[in-house]
Amino acid sequence: MKVTKLYAAYADQSILEDINFELKSHLSILGANGSGKSTLAKALCGLLEYEGSIRLNGQELREIPAIERAKSIAYIPAKMQSYELFTTVEDFVLLGRYPYKQSFKDYSQDDKELVQTILNELNIAHLKQQALHQLSSGEQQLTLIAQALAQESKILIFDEPTANLDPKNTALFVKELQKLRQNHTTILITHDIQLASFFNDAVLFIQDKQAHYYKHDFFKTQTLKEAYGIDFTSSNGLIGVAYD
Amino acid sequence: MIKNVLWLSLITVALLSPFVGTAHLEYRDLLETGSLSQRIFLELRLPRVLLAFFVGGILALCGLLFQTLFRNALMTPFTLGVSGGAVLGAGVAIKLGLGLLLGISAVSLFGFLGALLTVILLITLSRYLKRAEQESLLLLGIALSFFYTSALMVIFYLSSFTETTTIMRFTMGSLSIVGFESVILLSVIAVSLLIVLYTKRFELQILAISDEQAALKGINTQRLTYFFLITASLAIGILVSLTGPIGFIGLIIPHMLRKLYQRAVDKLIFPVFILGGFFLLACDTLARYLSHSSEIPIGVITALIGGPFFIYLIISKQR
Repeated sequence: MKVTKLYAAYADQSILEDINFELKSHLSILGANGSGKSTLAKALCGLLEYEGSIRLNGQELREIPAIERAKSIAYIPAKMQSYELFTTVEDFVLLGRYPYKQSFKDYSQDDKELVQTILNELNIAHLKQQALHQLSSGEQQLTLIAQALAQESKILIFDEPTANLDPKNTALFVKELQKLRQNHTTILITHDIQLASFFNDAVLFIQDKQAHYYKHDFFKTQTLKEAYGIDFTSSNGLIGVAYD
Repeated sequence: MIKNVLWLSLITVALLSPFVGTAHLEYRDLLETGSLSQRIFLELRLPRVLLAFFVGGILALCGLLFQTLFRNALMTPFTLGVSGGAVLGAGVAIKLGLGLLLGISAVSLFGFLGALLTVILLITLSRYLKRAEQESLLLLGIALSFFYTSALMVIFYLSSFTETTTIMRFTMGSLSIVGFESVILLSVIAVSLLIVLYTKRFELQILAISDEQAALKGINTQRLTYFFLITASLAIGILVSLTGPIGFIGLIIPHMLRKLYQRAVDKLIFPVFILGGFFLLACDTLARYLSHSSEIPIGVITALIGGPFFIYLIISKQR
């Protein structure tokens, strides 16, 4: 994926200006609250109109049919947001197969088997018949991931995946993410410096509507201080905010 | 348990329904060809029972559809003023004394146009609302309803006594018909609506989660939403032009079934239709049972039940 001269606006307000980067392998997107990380994510998924160019395998994103786009990019929101709370986990994960489903037909047996495999892998097969409202935040997060995996997209965009998780579920999530990184390209949007520095991928830091690309060396107290404008400490390779 | 009691009592009422009414039926004569009792049964009671069933089913389905598309339990064709638009359209056609236009009943055509224009107006106005202001759409619908009522008052003011009475009776909603013509039309609408919703159940399932989810899975959400809204306004427009507005079915029935069965929208299409049908039939049977000389309009009965229910929904902030 290659982004050049990307401009995006939200409700007539310019959010991102002249963003350029190329997604070669895993990427972390960081930036302050309201800096436009989620806007960028939405533009990359084709949910938002943009100016400039986002090229996916040489093809302009806005020209790719929505169904084909869904097969290439999956987006995992920070939180399960659903009006319909009675959808079961199985049905919700099956929706990941929607782009592959034949019109007017039910999901195929293969689709259902794939979903079962994914649920087994994520250790949530026992929740299959549970409704969304019966799940804990951690289980909801895993269900969202399961749906994205069912979509079989090469690129996975995680939008603040650990924001609603307790330490145990965060650890579980990181374990899953490590597995996924082997055969997906992941984009991780996060405020969690510890998490991002653990993976130590290339970083896109968004500030004042612009993006600064760091191929490496972002996770150093001095660089972080320049980026966020506050002090960071580092000990035993762990980086964190230095509280007064 | 509650489910069984509910279904059993509704089915019992439905079976008893054709035997309830102001005219007394001689049961011995029912099988006798050409007897008065048999004619009342076949030409008045039976079509009315079927009409009530289809009307209730369609109203409940359209309610379910609107609630899903707007992701809000208070959004139904009735509360958003779509029925009101249809009533005004039909009222205009009655006032102008229009018979057939292009081979279609003018009252139906105007009813549909009134419903369609309301939907277009709501879509246009909702573009000026932020996502968080979804509730304002409801206020827009209520404002539209007020406007339509006033416009209807103007028509009353300009009309003769007979015209006024006709329109007035119409606005109260009524299921009194003779013969099977309307029944056939409404059964076609009901079946088409069921087919459309059933074949699009997976899309409906995603839309019920969120627009974003649907878009991420490659669905053109805007086009699909418009398609559903136009389909529903077609059904509502024609229905209202035949029976007048019958409120609150679309609000109560889907909500009741969601509570009882706790299933997602794609599993509720047929149950909502059937329960809606039985429920309106029960209301109509009650109306006929209570009537002595003249009939209590069915719209009055459903509003008497639905009004308090609507208030309950608002207070309990059920989505």
